[in-house]
Amino acid sequence: MVLYNFKKITVVPTAKDFINIMLSKTQRKTPTVVHKHYKISRIRSFYTRKVRYTQQNFNERLSMIIQEFPKLDNIHPFYADLMNILYDKDHYKLALGQLNQARHLIDNVGKDYVRLMKFGDSLYRCKMLKKAALGRMATIMKRQAPNLVYLEQVRQHLSRLPSIDPYTRTLILCGFPNVGKSSFLNKITRADVEVHSYAFTTKSLYVGHTDYKYLRWQVVDTPGVLDHPLEERNVIEMQAVTALAHLRAAILYFIDVSEQCGHSIAEQVKLYESIKPLFTNKPLLVVCNKVDVTPMDQLSEAGREALSIFEKNNVPLLSMSAVTDEGVMEVKQQACDTLLAYRIENKIQAKKVDSILNRLHVAMPKTRDEKERPACIPESVLQKQRLVELQEFKKKLEKNLEDELGDDYILDLKKSYDLPEEFKYDIIPEFWNGRNIADFIHAELLQKVEELEKEEALREEAGYYAVPKIEIDETLREIKELAQKIRDRKIINRNESRISRQSNKPTTPRTAPAQARGRSATDFRSRMEDLGVDMEDTDEAHFTKTRGRARSLTRSQSRTNAKKPRLGSMHRSVSTSRSQSRVPRNQSGVRDSSMQLKLKQVAHKAIAKKVKKQGLKGEADRFIGTKRPKHLFAGKRGIGKTERR
Amino acid sequence: MAVRAQFENNNEIGVFSKLTNSYCLVGIGASETFYSVFESELSDIIPVIHASVAGCRIVGRMTVGNKNGLLLPNSTTDTELQHIRNSLPDNVKVQRVEERLSALGNVMVCNDYVALVHPDLDKDTEEILSDTLNVEVYRQTVASNCLVGSYCAISNQGGLVHPKTTVEDLDELSGLIQVPLVAGTVNRGSDVVGAGMVVNDWCAVCGTDTTSTEISVIDSIFKLDPDGVHKMKKLKGPLIDSIKAS
Repeated sequence: MVLYNFKKITVVPTAKDFINIMLSKTQRKTPTVVHKHYKISRIRSFYTRKVRYTQQNFNERLSMIIQEFPKLDNIHPFYADLMNILYDKDHYKLALGQLNQARHLIDNVGKDYVRLMKFGDSLYRCKMLKKAALGRMATIMKRQAPNLVYLEQVRQHLSRLPSIDPYTRTLILCGFPNVGKSSFLNKITRADVEVHSYAFTTKSLYVGHTDYKYLRWQVVDTPGVLDHPLEERNVIEMQAVTALAHLRAAILYFIDVSEQCGHSIAEQVKLYESIKPLFTNKPLLVVCNKVDVTPMDQLSEAGREALSIFEKNNVPLLSMSAVTDEGVMEVKQQACDTLLAYRIENKIQAKKVDSILNRLHVAMPKTRDEKERPACIPESVLQKQRLVELQEFKKKLEKNLEDELGDDYILDLKKSYDLPEEFKYDIIPEFWNGRNIADFIHAELLQKVEELEKEEALREEAGYYAVPKIEIDETLREIKELAQKIRDRKIINRNESRISRQSNKPTTPRTAPAQARGRSATDFRSRMEDLGVDMEDTDEAHFTKTRGRARSLTRSQSRTNAKKPRLGSMHRSVSTSRSQSRVPRNQSGVRDSSMQLKLKQVAHKAIAKKVKKQGLKGEADRFIGTKRPKHLFAGKRGIGKTERR
Repeated sequence: MAVRAQFENNNEIGVFSKLTNSYCLVGIGASETFYSVFESELSDIIPVIHASVAGCRIVGRMTVGNKNGLLLPNSTTDTELQHIRNSLPDNVKVQRVEERLSALGNVMVCNDYVALVHPDLDKDTEEILSDTLNVEVYRQTVASNCLVGSYCAISNQGGLVHPKTTVEDLDELSGLIQVPLVAGTVNRGSDVVGAGMVVNDWCAVCGTDTTSTEISVIDSIFKLDPDGVHKMKKLKGPLIDSIKAS
């Protein structure tokens, strides 16, 4: 319904806040981790993204500000003029224009640095470029500080402006200061405007709403106007002039006939004459206020003469007193009536009424036959109306009952049945598939059920349903026990075999690590110490001279009880042991030739088995796992790569 | 004077209630606030009954009736039918009809003497309608809408129809129904007049959004206040000024 809503403009932050918001947003919404060993293209794109993101955010925010503030050329001239008076049109336009300029500059900075980023050849340089870009953007914004402050002030003031609809039915109150305009507004609306006995209590426009003839009327209270040339008028007065100039409304010109406002009637009439051009083509009423102080018939000669000019010009002159409420309603009604007549006349002239003509037409029926079609209003309606008028009508409603009972309330549908009281709560059999279930109930059903139950009781008594007991002797029990044991054993067997079948893995897998040695010198030493044996001076003891696991040819040099050299042989140095060749594999661990023969046969059998299984010729046969390895045969082939070997 | 009401925050109260000169049906809702609006206005004069039709609360759109009788759609269950039968006075005939257009309240509208019905209505239904409700039946459209029940609200004293109805159509309809008619809106400009309000010869209830201008039109055309139709002339000015030309 509201045409102009200036309350929804978002807050304009100060330059410092603006920059902080933007930079922290970039920090929050873009990646933050980069390392110098990354590929340079990745580093560049990392910083490019930061620059571009910041530039976009600046752009968006500034665009929003520029867009949200009303454009003076697009809004109703009343608001345009009011804004011009209050905020100075040039200043306002300049501020928004400079913000627009700043937006362009920031866009260009962003673009330039994104381009420069291509030449950044290290992380450090890219980072410096980003820093410079963001810095320049911030500087541009810092220069807009005064504009932002100004726009924030404008926003706050705009949001507090009264929401005046320039197109609706409006009454405007005007006149010298302190003539009782605001008192009248307070009388006919619920606006509750400040009223004091000094001039210029009202310093801006105020709006109230009143109802008349099923319609809403907007009443605009204006600050007082003094009688001097337009150029000398101050901001407060100019607001009144704007409202008078641009709103197509009924104008109520207030005159203080008691002259308590400090201006004589003649002066007030003179003001009327000087601002008369603003009233042309509008319904106009002159209201003489404060008649409780000076009634109209006790006016001075000069005053009467001054007022006579209105009679000459056919301007309706009304009198009222806001203190005694005398004539207030008449003024309101006459003002509304004249305005309504004026607006309707305008609408009819503009041919806007044709489309709603059907809504104004009451179609009265043409009688088509002799039949009477009277309304049927029961006699009780009239009785009730009488009771309501006497205020004797009071009834407990379902809602009151619901409120009283709260959660315990259950809607009783049967309460209002149009049935005798004793039938209301009868239990009624249910309908099912269009049939009354009660119709299908046998008349003697209960009797029959009783008979059946009696019969059943008799049978039970006679032992018809008793189960004969079976006697078990000794042998039978033994057999049973045995059978049970067999069954149990079978079950156990079945389960065991199932478990053993489940695991067909070798008991020790090939991959199992070699078992750790059970015995060691250190282990022995500590165990002996635990037992209380003194183990000091045992560094050279026999048990420390263990042989390492590795089969190294060089043995411990410190071995003292080395093999005695054979007599007659050449003396060798102690340090060099005799060279020993290893036993061939097929002879190691073989006791004698018979054993060797046997082993040979075993090996032959094993090989034969393998040959049979894999189709090999013999043990020495070369075994190729994959005949045609995929990596050598699939895909494109270079020259000479087809053969594997 | 017309009363404003709301059914569970919904302004289309004609959907959830049916008002005639001899009874009033109200849909069963979560709370009794809506029911009590009717109860306080009417319960000493005519029965005000909680009802559901086919398990739905939209009794106003599913049924059609006047002081002589009530028609229910085929989907009404036996239990519901029995409940309504028990609650209504004996001189009101209750009848279930086999009609393809089962939202009877949308396709028919009637006062105690005349009914307007959807052009495609079944022949048998038309016969049952005229026998049960004791009315003359006319197949008509309102502002070229077939759903006459949705776009009309009529009583024996007057009627409100779709706002786009032309003057010629208004005169024709008024000749058929034999009551004064006016084109108008309810619920701040809603054109579904039948769904937005319910009315009988001495009482009207409309949605809470209805403006004071709309209320005053309703009051004057249905003769709910002493001034009656003559007031429409006084309303002309406010009407011209408040209706936006479209």
